[in-house]
Amino acid sequence: MRKKKIAAFLIFTLAAAFFAGCGHSESSEEKNTSGKKTFVYGVTNFNAENGETDINPHNDSSGWACIRYGVGETLFRFNDAMEIEPWLAESCENTDELTWEIILRENVNFTSGRHMDGEAVKECLEALVKEHERAAGDLKIEKITAQGQTVTIQTQVPVPALLNYLADPYGCIYDVQEGVTKDGIVCGTGPYKAVSLITDTNLELVKNEDYWNGEPKLDEITIRTISDGDTLTMALQSGEIDAAYGMPYASYPLFESEKYTFSSCATSRVFFGAMNYESEITSDPAVRKAICMGIDKEGFVETLLGGNGYPAQGVFPENFSFGGDAVQGEPYDPQGAKEVLEEAGWVDEDGDGTREKDGKKLILRWLTYPSRQELPLLAEAAQSTLKEIGFEVEVNNTADHSSIRADKDAWDIFVSAMVTAPTGDPEYFFTYRCLDSSSGNDGSYHSDELEKLEQEMMQTFDTEKRSQLAVKMQQTILDDHGYVFCSHLRMSIISKANVTGLAAHPCDYYEITADLDVA
Amino acid sequence: MRNRTKRKLILFGALVAILLLAAIFAQVISPYDPNLQNYEIALQPPSFAHPFGTDRYGRDMLSRVIAGAQTSIFSTLLLVAVISVFGTLIGVACGYLGGLFDGVVMRISDICLAFPGLVFALAIAAVLNGGIQNAVLALAAISWPKYARLARSQTLSMKNADYMMAARLSGNTPLKMIVRHILPNITGPVLVTAMLDIGTMMMEIAALSFLGLGAKPPTAEWGSMMSGGRSMLQTYPWVVLTPGVAIFISVVLFNLLGDTIRDYLDPRSTHGK
Repeated sequence: MRKKKIAAFLIFTLAAAFFAGCGHSESSEEKNTSGKKTFVYGVTNFNAENGETDINPHNDSSGWACIRYGVGETLFRFNDAMEIEPWLAESCENTDELTWEIILRENVNFTSGRHMDGEAVKECLEALVKEHERAAGDLKIEKITAQGQTVTIQTQVPVPALLNYLADPYGCIYDVQEGVTKDGIVCGTGPYKAVSLITDTNLELVKNEDYWNGEPKLDEITIRTISDGDTLTMALQSGEIDAAYGMPYASYPLFESEKYTFSSCATSRVFFGAMNYESEITSDPAVRKAICMGIDKEGFVETLLGGNGYPAQGVFPENFSFGGDAVQGEPYDPQGAKEVLEEAGWVDEDGDGTREKDGKKLILRWLTYPSRQELPLLAEAAQSTLKEIGFEVEVNNTADHSSIRADKDAWDIFVSAMVTAPTGDPEYFFTYRCLDSSSGNDGSYHSDELEKLEQEMMQTFDTEKRSQLAVKMQQTILDDHGYVFCSHLRMSIISKANVTGLAAHPCDYYEITADLDVA
Repeated sequence: MRNRTKRKLILFGALVAILLLAAIFAQVISPYDPNLQNYEIALQPPSFAHPFGTDRYGRDMLSRVIAGAQTSIFSTLLLVAVISVFGTLIGVACGYLGGLFDGVVMRISDICLAFPGLVFALAIAAVLNGGIQNAVLALAAISWPKYARLARSQTLSMKNADYMMAARLSGNTPLKMIVRHILPNITGPVLVTAMLDIGTMMMEIAALSFLGLGAKPPTAEWGSMMSGGRSMLQTYPWVVLTPGVAIFISVVLFNLLGDTIRDYLDPRSTHGK
């Protein structure tokens, strides 16, 4: 009897502890008693896995965090139509093919207190090309000179998209003399100033009292890295955070009420696969073609993304003149894919459902990573449709994809998500991913035709002509089946209804601005 | 009292047998192909056509839970069989031979016991790159010492018994001694330990799969099914709850059966509740 009483007591205690754990934690507003206006922003992607270890724009992809969270600003920026316009710069003149004369705004100071003049910008850009490999490759800067508020950039070869590149997050201008702290904090010109940063955990910001473009409305902001989508969901539900970026689609229905606001926008982020030309399997053109024909993009977008995107034809989304249907990829055609494989000699002789050729099984090693939650879904969806045409797909879904990718014998297709036109200009994708000289050409793709077109692109300043070239270049890689483009993403920021001024932007750069406010 | 234990043994034995039969004949009794995707019926709540609902790929959850039974239960049984046989043999060898061999092996087992089991298994599974076989291997690598210790202590206690002396004097080789006289005598305790271990091991395999180091897609396995659906716990709960309940029921059944077998085999036991 006594034992039963003890058992009942224990069960009661456990149950009480369990339900206590479910209780609402205090919301960020309630916490704030000092009269300060604060805001907590939960994001899934500000982490080392995405190359965003800190907010130093010259470090890997950390520029994204620098610009998104209102610390840094670039000389030029994109408007909602993805057209380039001056930001820290006032104007720009192209005196000849190689020379750009940029006039800076007068009234801008860094959060370190220093005035942003030509010399400061020169120092920052010189440090950029020294420290950031991709930036150096994009900008091809020969010499920078500064005088007063004027910066003159001379390039080694014509770089028609120079202003677009300067609008890339790596182009955030910060005070190089003040330097980078050991935590990776820089002093930019944005509406907020970073005070502390712990990689993969949080970033604390305070208002920049001296901001040049209006008064920031909040006193303190916390950017909290919550890489797990479910934790993010619960954090927003409990009121622990005020807004969330990277919410899993499965959680959207939970926030479809007047208590929350969605700000959505089609972006140039594409989910795509790069074929490995050094693999025995994907070096076969027929196999590559069959893969391109064997992925049900429509079903993936409609069902698994819940309509938050649209199927991709090529590299760029439809809001670009050179994107959307301007090119033609392979349509979903399982029957056609089977014929392609059949003709190339891939036949299922032993009847196990997987085709073989010369004693080799048609096993496709699909490498992807979990931090973009759509990617594992795409892998499992493709696994099923490709199985029907005779592939056996082995999915390797790992955060450690970088080291595996470096070993060309360890994978056949690498499926990732990428913003293909972060600079609003088409050249970037090709120079970064598809050329012999590209740092991100994971699958060792090579095309003489593409190299030739790129030579032409490098010399072309006319936007119209660049668009035409972009179409040709896309069609080249699509015809080679070197890449398969699955879908473009519609991204959403979900915030509490009392949050204003937080809007999704097509280039996915600008999130925290001086307009952000909490009612 | 003993009759009551016997009745319980039959009841739980029968329930476990049903579970095992369902696992063995998974392919036959599944109403649909567990890996067949059909987006048109994605995320449907439980209905007559799909008693457990469907997941986000439109796969029938009932079929997947049944197919998952095969993966989960058989890998658990395989794991327990491997560690109990392997562990027992090592333990008997240590106990019988003694000396340096015993010392070295027991220190290795001490090292294994000093680690938190799941963390160690996690590390091994990560090195081996996931997959259900590797999860079993990883758990086996850390779980054998329990049996080795048990078998060793049993062997030591009977090594110097009179009947062992007699057997030795009548010219039996060490191998024969172990096979004929020691193993039969320690089967009972090992069996009971193994039965009680099944539930724990099933949970650990599910845990590894939940963390992405067990079964790989599209293999249906209860732990990975829960992991895949966990973002839908609030919106489409059946995707997570059905495999969860399946784990719960199986673990409880195996534990109850283990308990009952222990009571049944232990003649001194009077608390056959």
